[in-house]
Amino acid sequence: MADLSYEDSKKLVFKGMALLAVVTLIEVAIALVGKGYVIEGFHLPVWLMYISMIGLSLYKAYFIVYEFMHMKYEVKGLAMSVLLPTGLLVWAVIAFFNEGNSWNQRRTLIKEKNAETIDDTRKSTGSIIDLKDVKNLN
Amino acid sequence: MSVVNYDEDVLIKEQGFDDHFHDHHHGDKYQSNFITTYIFSQDHKIIGKQFLITGMIWAIIGAGMSIIFRLQLGFPDDSLTWIKPLLGKWITVNETTGIGTLAPEFYYALVTMHGTILVFFVLTAGLSGTFSNLLIPLQIGARDMASPLLNMLSYWFFFIAGVVMFCSLFLSTGPFAGGWTAYPPLSALPQASDGSGAGMTMWVASLVLFVVSVLLGGVNYITTVLNLRTKGMTMWRMPLTIWAFLITAILGLLSFPVLVSALLLVMCDRGLGTSFFLSEIFVGGEALNHVGGSPVLYQHLFWFLGHPEVYIIILPAMGLTSEVLSVHARKPIFGYKAMVFSILAIAFLSFIVWAHHMFMSGVNPFISNFFVIFTLIIAVPSAVKVFNWIATLYGGNIRFVSAMLFAMGFVSLFISGGLTGIFLGNAAIDIQMHDTYFVVAHFHIVMGIAAFFGMFAGIYHWFPKMYGRFMNETLGRIHFWGTMIGAYAIFWPMHYLGMAGVPRRYYRFDNFETFSHFSQMNQFITIAAIIVFFLQILFVVNFFVSIWKGKRVTTKNPWGATTLEWTTPIDAGHGNWPGNIPAVHRWAYDYGKDGVEFIPQIVPLTDEEKENEADLH
Amino acid sequence: MAHDTAHTDVIPEQGHLEHKDYMDSHDGPAWGGGKRPFKASYGKLMMWYFLLSDAFTFAGFLIAYGAIRFSMPTWPVPDHVFSAFPGGFHGWPLIFVTVMTFVLILSSVTMVRAVQEGHRRNKRGVMFWMALTIIGGAAFLGCQAWEWNTMINEEGVTVTKNPFSTHLQGGTYLTGAEIEGAGFEKVMTETHGKTATYYLEPGAEDIEENRLFVKQNHQKEVLAGESFKEEDPYLITYNHDTHLYEPSAFKTPDGSIHKEAFGPIAFGSLFFFITGFHGFHVFSGVVFLLIILINVASGLYHNRSNNYEMVEKIGLYWHFVDLVWVFVFLVFYLL
Ligand code: HEM
Ligand SMILES: [Cu+2]
Repeated sequence: MADLSYEDSKKLVFKGMALLAVVTLIEVAIALVGKGYVIEGFHLPVWLMYISMIGLSLYKAYFIVYEFMHMKYEVKGLAMSVLLPTGLLVWAVIAFFNEGNSWNQRRTLIKEKNAETIDDTRKSTGSIIDLKDVKNLN
Repeated sequence: MSVVNYDEDVLIKEQGFDDHFHDHHHGDKYQSNFITTYIFSQDHKIIGKQFLITGMIWAIIGAGMSIIFRLQLGFPDDSLTWIKPLLGKWITVNETTGIGTLAPEFYYALVTMHGTILVFFVLTAGLSGTFSNLLIPLQIGARDMASPLLNMLSYWFFFIAGVVMFCSLFLSTGPFAGGWTAYPPLSALPQASDGSGAGMTMWVASLVLFVVSVLLGGVNYITTVLNLRTKGMTMWRMPLTIWAFLITAILGLLSFPVLVSALLLVMCDRGLGTSFFLSEIFVGGEALNHVGGSPVLYQHLFWFLGHPEVYIIILPAMGLTSEVLSVHARKPIFGYKAMVFSILAIAFLSFIVWAHHMFMSGVNPFISNFFVIFTLIIAVPSAVKVFNWIATLYGGNIRFVSAMLFAMGFVSLFISGGLTGIFLGNAAIDIQMHDTYFVVAHFHIVMGIAAFFGMFAGIYHWFPKMYGRFMNETLGRIHFWGTMIGAYAIFWPMHYLGMAGVPRRYYRFDNFETFSHFSQMNQFITIAAIIVFFLQILFVVNFFVSIWKGKRVTTKNPWGATTLEWTTPIDAGHGNWPGNIPAVHRWAYDYGKDGVEFIPQIVPLTDEEKENEADLH
Repeated sequence: MAHDTAHTDVIPEQGHLEHKDYMDSHDGPAWGGGKRPFKASYGKLMMWYFLLSDAFTFAGFLIAYGAIRFSMPTWPVPDHVFSAFPGGFHGWPLIFVTVMTFVLILSSVTMVRAVQEGHRRNKRGVMFWMALTIIGGAAFLGCQAWEWNTMINEEGVTVTKNPFSTHLQGGTYLTGAEIEGAGFEKVMTETHGKTATYYLEPGAEDIEENRLFVKQNHQKEVLAGESFKEEDPYLITYNHDTHLYEPSAFKTPDGSIHKEAFGPIAFGSLFFFITGFHGFHVFSGVVFLLIILINVASGLYHNRSNNYEMVEKIGLYWHFVDLVWVFVFLVFYLL
């Protein structure tokens, strides 16, 4: 608000409110329309829904920080000192989600293997690795 | 050059800053009686001493515990009846032979408490807490921290955290016993082991209080360094100590909250029956209801704090070392900016390498690759720092005082321990080495002992500032040489144990055929540990006797240092400078410049120097 | 102060540490020392950095949530889970939470207004808008209480039980006769003074895991005979009379009979934990707002050198709570 008059900044606040409300409504609309609740038989691709909802949420976050929390009017250094560290979370998100995914795959694999029936007619060859399995692996 | 003749007091008066200090200090409402002066003090210097002395008490307790479990490892068959008065039911005495044995559960409790206490209470609070408090306002030219009140609260939260942990030692089931990392399921199931019940609950309570203390301290240190630097104290003129404390505070601010996340989730698993960190599990033959969680998730969250935490411990020690090396080598620190940038690089990298502690936990190999690469990159800024320390010493006019000896010892230890880190950073090697004594050797040398050395260097160096007296130099040197040799004697052999596969956190080894030939080595380590322990007692005695009986400091600046803390009166009150705050005109490392031994930061630049500066820009 | 006073010009806080004459009495580079390089008082900086660290606490939770969700083969569909509305309405996906979100946004707006009035040193204005903010916060908490209550007591979600899930394959719910026709035995027992009717395989022990029910919803409408596709969401009905969860029997196209499985229990625990932690922040925010409102009313800040900076600081905290909700809303309700 550094350069704005009181009246102007007052207006800006209510504009901001309208903006956040609208963006939220769009998000909800994407969720509902995209999943076919509103128009029978109409779906949006999941990736498109996810990307747009994440994008819009990030925009809301940006708006709250920059306008409501006045980051826009702070010295740039202050903004950077608060915002840049959150970049550290990017790698955390990648690594954690990748891990979660791999637990899922591992559990599925274990389930599959447990359900497999063992071919009793195959006699032990005495070697630790069964040659048949080696071939299957390749 | 005409800078040799200056009168400090005149300089401060003429160049310094008048902030109407006295106008606001009629009788100083903060320090009107004993309690507000020494107990609920808001003076950063007193709070620093409180952190230091509390840390020392915890160090003695923590180290004492290690002696007990080292006795168990070195002399598993010998009687421990003599400590029954202290340990009570945790020592069982055989009625016929009279031999007292340490309860295995308590062995684990001791190891766990040793780790927790040393990592958090001693090397985090006792080191960063002490010196950030003492030095930040003094070296940047501030009257106190930005918020003296929160600063005081920071100490008292630490104190209460300590009280809670201390009380947990006396639980009938013993304190927490699942390792300082508190992995589930031992931490997540109250029935999993003796210490997992009330012991773990108190462990969590204590650590959450501790995090509050770290955060209160951290926001204060950061804002103080940003906002309260005196006139002329640009960022590039700050001593490396201040850089180190600043970055340490930032690391703590960003990593400790994630520990809180992990601990709160663990508490839910314990109390509410959720399964964040637990999947299908049997305890005592009974299947529990938990499904779907992952103990590895806890490990990720823990090490997201855990790895930055090791740098929270080592960075202040690095800062202190840099400062002490430069002062006592009478040379500017080599590569000042490179030092700052490598601190920043280390700090950044420390947030993206955490899973190198989990190569054996079954982390997806794809993601492991990245962790290996990031981890190995840390060696680069670390090596830059080592190179610069050595280059600072090179050709210096070294004064081998105790502080300097410890600072040089720090460099040695950091090199030895850092090298083994590079072994461990390779997943393929770590799979063999993980959870062996090799790891124990690595982190004790690089973090444990090195950080202690940085702390000792700091204490010997700033003792005159803290108490207006010197510590006894002879005892200091005995302390140094004994500890230096002793520490290597303890931890060097552990590398061999580890490479032979001896696992850490085992109660005894003599019943394993493979390891039985190590029994003498284990005895040797234990004896060395006992000697080193008593050398530390010697240090403590030296410390406390010197407070009252040490040689008095007669000049403000006994070491001939350039930084601002040495421009305060020997016995500075709350507010540090009686009159104006000194202004700063140069960086902190003008040693041996143009043939002058040292030029304090408060001395204005000569015309010639100004020209040179202008040329640089 | 004049109307258009920039808030960056707020006079520093009282006390001897950041003294106005001292900090602002000279020119020179922002980082040259003796200045506040960010032109912000230490109090505001501290609040910012505290919020940064708090953001990392929430990040810890949300990232853990993500990892757990990725590790699950199925996850409840939010617009199926969150579809109730006060007054006994059902099947209104995401409407109630949208209302909740609006409430929080509104309270953020009133907070900004309070801060603006603070800059004009308009004490009554500050009080008015702060009071509205408190009402907004309380309303949000009320909504959350209603939502939790519905989930726990109506739908039977707890921290250890999650009756919401999605189908891994398509199929048709079976009627009682069909289940019996497939060789199951009908069992009727008394629990909590009411009769529970379910089906057991002959010889199977009468325990929760073995019981098959006829599909009906909370309104006791029998849904047997209805078909569903793969990935369709479902809710295992919690019968409020018998206090039993009623996993229904259904038949897949290949003719085999299956039973609805409970969803990942992590869903309920994470939902209650994370929204609870957020709610706890809202609650503490309301308490702080109240205390500061009382201080404002008492005129405490009016003549302080930094005026209503306290209102600004609590404002930062309050917007942060809103900010966190943006992400909670995203991951729990939208994705
Ligand atoms: C070149 C630098 C370094 C590398 C590559 C490195 C690498 C590693 C790796 C891979 C481990 C895990 C070993 C295992 O559990 O199997 C480890 C453990 C550890 N490191 Fe380092 N490290 C380095 C420097 C440091 C420094 C500077 C500190 C402390 C100041 C430190 C403290 C620790 C601690 C405390 C542990 C063990 C924690 C535990 O399991 O209880 N390391 N290090
Ligand atoms: Cu590490």
